[in-house]
Amino acid sequence: MHLHKYEKIWLIFGMASLVLFLLIIGFAAFWKGTHPQSHIETIDPQNVEAHDAFKPENLGIREVADGKYIVNIVASAFNYDFGKDKEGNAIKTIRVPKGSTVLYQITTKDVVHGFQVAGTNVNMMVEPGHISRYETVMKNTGEFTVVCNEYCGIGHHQMFGTVEVYE
Amino acid sequence: MGKENPKQHQPSLHESTHSLKGTFIAVMLLGIFILVAWFGFYALFLSR
Repeated sequence: MHLHKYEKIWLIFGMASLVLFLLIIGFAAFWKGTHPQSHIETIDPQNVEAHDAFKPENLGIREVADGKYIVNIVASAFNYDFGKDKEGNAIKTIRVPKGSTVLYQITTKDVVHGFQVAGTNVNMMVEPGHISRYETVMKNTGEFTVVCNEYCGIGHHQMFGTVEVYE
Repeated sequence: MGKENPKQHQPSLHESTHSLKGTFIAVMLLGIFILVAWFGFYALFLSR
C-alpha cells in the first residue's frame, strides 16, 4: 500500500498523541490514584444517618490529623447540610487553612445533586445510594462558592455554600 | 483505440493524489490545537 509522505507524518502524529494520552491516563490511574468520585460503596438514601460519617453530629468539618481535614456533607433538595454551630445555627461556610488536605465526603437523601467548589478541582456528582469522595489540597486562598451543578428541582439555584481558604 | 484508453485515465489518477499540502496543514493545525488545549486544561487542573 502506498502512503503519501504527509499521510505518514500525520498518522504518526496521531498515534503518538494517542499513546501519550494513554500513558498519562495510566500514570494518573495507577500511580496517582485518580479514580471516579463515586465508588461502589452504597448507602441507604432513606437512612443516611445510619452511616457514621453522616450522623448529624459528624457533619461539617473535622480535623483528623495535622493539616488533614474531613468534611462530611448531606445534600438534599435544596440544601447542603454542613452541620450546626454551637448556637445551633446551620453552618454555611467551611473554613480551612491554606495548604491543608481536605477529604470531602458527600451523599444525598433524595435526587441527584452536584457538588462543585467553583475555582477548585472539587467537582462531584452526588447520587442517592452512593457516597462521593474527593480528596484535594487547598492550594489557593480565597472564598470559593459551592454550587449544585446537577439540576435537582425548582430550588436548584438556591443550593449553595462557601468554602473559605485562609492564610 | 484500445491502447489509448489507459493513457487517458492516467492523468486523472495522478490528479486525485497530487497535492496534500492543504490537508496536511489543516490536520496539523487541528492536532496542535488539541494538544495545546489538552495541556492547557491539565495546567489549570494542576494549578487549582
